[in-house]
Amino acid sequence: MKDFYKKLLSIDDGLNTPDDTTTFLNAIQESITIGAWEVDLETMRIYWSPMTKQIHEVDPDYVPKFDATRDFYTSFKDRDLLDDLFKTAVSTGKKYDIEYQLTTAKNNCKWVRSIGYPVFKEGICIKVMGIFQDITAKANIFHETIQKEKEIRTILTHSPNGMAVVGLHGGFLSVNKSLCDFLGYSEKELLSIECKTITHPKDYDKTETQISKLLDGRFSNFQLEKRYIHKSGKKIHGLLSTSLLRDENNVPLYFIKSVINIGPMRKANKTVEKLLKTTEDQNLRLLNFAHIVSHNLRSHTGNLSMLLELLQEDIPSATNNEYFPLIQQAVKNLADTVGNLNEISIVNSKKDTGLESLNLLDFTNKAINSSIAKIIETNTEINLNINSSIIVLALPAYLDSILLNIITNAIKYRRENIAPKITISASMEGKYIKLDISDNGLGINLDLHRHKMFGLYKTFHKHKDSRGLGLFITKNQIDAIGGKIDVISEVNKGSTFTVYFKYENN
Amino acid sequence: MKTINLICIIDDDPIFIFTAKKVLRLSDFGGDFLVFNNGEDAFNHLKPLYIDDTEVPDLIFLDLNMPIMDGWQFLDEFIKLKLSKVVTLYIVSSSIDPVDIEKAKEYEKISGFIIKPIDKASLRKITKKFILKK
Repeated sequence: MKDFYKKLLSIDDGLNTPDDTTTFLNAIQESITIGAWEVDLETMRIYWSPMTKQIHEVDPDYVPKFDATRDFYTSFKDRDLLDDLFKTAVSTGKKYDIEYQLTTAKNNCKWVRSIGYPVFKEGICIKVMGIFQDITAKANIFHETIQKEKEIRTILTHSPNGMAVVGLHGGFLSVNKSLCDFLGYSEKELLSIECKTITHPKDYDKTETQISKLLDGRFSNFQLEKRYIHKSGKKIHGLLSTSLLRDENNVPLYFIKSVINIGPMRKANKTVEKLLKTTEDQNLRLLNFAHIVSHNLRSHTGNLSMLLELLQEDIPSATNNEYFPLIQQAVKNLADTVGNLNEISIVNSKKDTGLESLNLLDFTNKAINSSIAKIIETNTEINLNINSSIIVLALPAYLDSILLNIITNAIKYRRENIAPKITISASMEGKYIKLDISDNGLGINLDLHRHKMFGLYKTFHKHKDSRGLGLFITKNQIDAIGGKIDVISEVNKGSTFTVYFKYENN
Repeated sequence: MKTINLICIIDDDPIFIFTAKKVLRLSDFGGDFLVFNNGEDAFNHLKPLYIDDTEVPDLIFLDLNMPIMDGWQFLDEFIKLKLSKVVTLYIVSSSIDPVDIEKAKEYEKISGFIIKPIDKASLRKITKKFILKK
């Protein structure tokens, strides 16, 4: 035994007594978790050092039997392999070195390394000596690393983003399928070219600037929108994200690059921008048009009205015919239409500016008071259920007009012989204050009219005062203050108009 | 009590000039008219009158949209004369654009903003206001 240790560890000198040597060697074994063992083939006895026993988690006085040791192997495969190696060692003198899994006496699983040295005497193997090392910690790390590597490889391979590991000199070390698809090259082709080849010449400098900052350690990664050259020569757009991997001494190793294909997104953005531009142009044209209406048409109709008025006063005889009243009516109608158009164009040019916080209950009461004569005359019952603390964002003139219009409509389009009943209530709904104004009036056939409910010059009842302007202006005013309007209605049951107002804090 | 002797109309629309004159006559105005078809003509003619303070109009009706020099440009030049005398000037425009009405408030020389078409009632109000002014 001691000879073996001495030979193995080259410590022939220095230690005086055999006992000293054993103690010393056992101490070493403990500190490095290496045990020793020996199989004496002549006596068929097995020796395990204390450390070897410790690794097997057996008692210090455990005496290993020749066969029983095999019970510690976790797999039959390992056992058979070790058997083979042992037999070969004995018959040919070939040493072995193997790592395998062991199940200890306490049923713990360990990774161990076993080295066996056959010792020959006069051509016959008399014993096999060896060392035994617990490598569980190392093996676990190793297996974990393999697992992690597998995970990362899976992420890399299946990522919808193009990904690559790039060397410090710009050569591809590994690439994934998405990157190959994005650039039109095969994996093999990419691995043989440099990043520079696929970078658009105009974006080369800005990429290099970022790369050198990364190498300087100014940041650990950067993002850059840049152009690439597809294998076909086509220009393509990508969002590049680059990180630099460094070793434990902070020396740069290689770059990890990820590229998102932003071509489709850019295209969609461009379409949106174009649409927006068209809409802006159209809005501007409409505003100009409204201006023309406001200025030119108004001055012409104004002149016509004036001339007719003067004619009537100055030369009454000229008006005493059947044409004059008709001309006068036509001019009045024209002036009304121009007036209506003006009202609309003013609403449209005053969007979202100067909204004020207004008390909904106060304004509703004001609108009810303005129509009080009609309410009394028609015997209308009004149920008002608005909390006095509700504040909405609106322009005062618009809020007046919106409330008054919906309330007077509810009275105007009442059913004959049925006392009008109007219920007004408000509640909070998401980012809006919701105001419901319900009536028991004529109702509107929404299947027929929903699409033109808030259209210009659309009327739904044969009422002498229906101009088809009220709801159109109401809708425009609600739009202008960032609200919404909706309606539910049933013929001969009634209608509910719901107005959504913005309120403070959003 | 003052009397109105001279009214100046600055407007490029002959129909408006015709109707304005008619309405004023029908409102018993017996004085003279001074008419210009654009801001520049008006300014060139009125400038020496105001400097000498002779035969200045009692009332000015100024249109906004005119060729060559529009109503605003006329006003800007007119203000530069730094007249000490009070001038009664009304803007008469078919514009109901709130921007124009707001802008008119910035000029202290402007006595009012009349939206076309003018009618007898509003003209009478203006002339009466002038007559009663001390």
